[in-house]
Amino acid sequence: MYDRKAVRRRRAALAVFVALSIAILTAYFGESGGGFFHALQRGAQEAFAPIESGATRALKPVRDFFGWAGDTIDAKDQNKELKEEVERLRSELADAQTSRRDARQLRGLVGLHRQEGFPRGTRPVAARVIARSPTVWFSSLKIDKGSGDGIRLNQPVIAAATNTSGSAVGGLAGKITRVTGGTAEVTLITDESSGVAAQVMPAGASGVVKPEVGNPRDLLLDFVEGGRRVTEGTIVVTSGFKASRVESLFPRGIPIGEVTKVDLDEVELYQRVHIRPYADLRRIDIVQVLTRKPPATQTAEVVAP
Amino acid sequence: MILSGGALVRVGLLLLLAVVLQLSALSQIGIVGGQADVVVLVVAAVAYYAGSVPGCATGFAAGFLLDLATGATMGASSLVLTAVGYGVGRFRELRDPSHGLLPIPGGAAATAGWVVAFAAVSFMLDVGARVSPLVFRDMVVTVLLNTLLALPVFAGCRRVLRPSLRVDPVEVRRRREQQPRETGPIGLRGMEV
Repeated sequence: MYDRKAVRRRRAALAVFVALSIAILTAYFGESGGGFFHALQRGAQEAFAPIESGATRALKPVRDFFGWAGDTIDAKDQNKELKEEVERLRSELADAQTSRRDARQLRGLVGLHRQEGFPRGTRPVAARVIARSPTVWFSSLKIDKGSGDGIRLNQPVIAAATNTSGSAVGGLAGKITRVTGGTAEVTLITDESSGVAAQVMPAGASGVVKPEVGNPRDLLLDFVEGGRRVTEGTIVVTSGFKASRVESLFPRGIPIGEVTKVDLDEVELYQRVHIRPYADLRRIDIVQVLTRKPPATQTAEVVAP
Repeated sequence: MILSGGALVRVGLLLLLAVVLQLSALSQIGIVGGQADVVVLVVAAVAYYAGSVPGCATGFAAGFLLDLATGATMGASSLVLTAVGYGVGRFRELRDPSHGLLPIPGGAAATAGWVVAFAAVSFMLDVGARVSPLVFRDMVVTVLLNTLLALPVFAGCRRVLRPSLRVDPVEVRRRREQQPRETGPIGLRGMEV
């Protein structure tokens, strides 16, 4: 049935409540912070506070349950995102570490060139190691520079390493034994076929540096005359000897390593000197090929690195 | 609804419970950025069972209580919930629905009306900042969550309000279902043949 009275009452109720709402809204906006509605709100909030506090505590298990459920759902996405982030960061870390290592090696090479006694005018060409020999018998590397970059056979190769005090040092690494247009092969001084004419500084005792196969951290300076005393900690450099028709491939003054032990055998004619090479031959990433021989007038004056 | 002290107490308790539950629990449970809103469901339920006048009164009271408790702009929630309560109440008075699942679309529609109208009012009143499009996602999530909650909330409200209801839609439906169904050609129904 259509009841006019009910309709009027209903519309009046709606109008009253809407008008009340608008009036409250207007008054709320019109009054200052200390006005009636603001004060009422503050009072209500104070009154509600204990109820809300109690309810919050009582309902914590419910919230935790839903939180746990929500977290579990979110965890799947988060897991995926975090895995991707870890992957990215790992890659960035690897790049950063590689760059740091390269920088350290390059610093070592630069430091080597600044050393007094190091041969000048050698026009070094920096190259990156792109492959290494997998066996201990044939210690060789392949570098990414070849004849196109001025690299020729038998040119000396130097590399850097970090010494015990943490500073970068460098030393002789080997020589070029094969060259192509864009690559070259370096035979390291640890290769069984290697032999480098060397001199202990400042004593001046001469000999030939030979490898101890299988131990790249130990070289042997052989054929050192028994009468010339060699002490531990002294430096061994290339001697760059020149006979009438024979000449050393390595110019004079390139550091090779440091004397670690001297075998004094009274019976033998020569003493055997153990050397730890400056170049970290197991972990070379960057090398320099000395593409030009130094002027013949240069003299060697080697100072400890 | 039979207007009595008991009815007022029941509705008042329902609203208080809804506001406390909303502020202490539901507002702190975020699901996909949104949260359920039980206050609007209680207003819709009261309006659905009691009619438009109690509906808009309940909406006004609920909004007032909510604004008081949250410290929001006074009157804004009241205005919107009054309209929601009236709308749901009028729907029930005009259509006289009795389907058992009607609270689901009813709750969803009421919530949609509430979130949209409240956003519009808030935007017109005092939101000076740039509004992120994510509010639309939150609104949709709230509507979906309330759709899920509508049936139990309506059932709970009906249980509380039942002693004061003049007409209970569920009872009406039951009575209709209990009446024997007439069979036979349409033209012969109700005739003693």
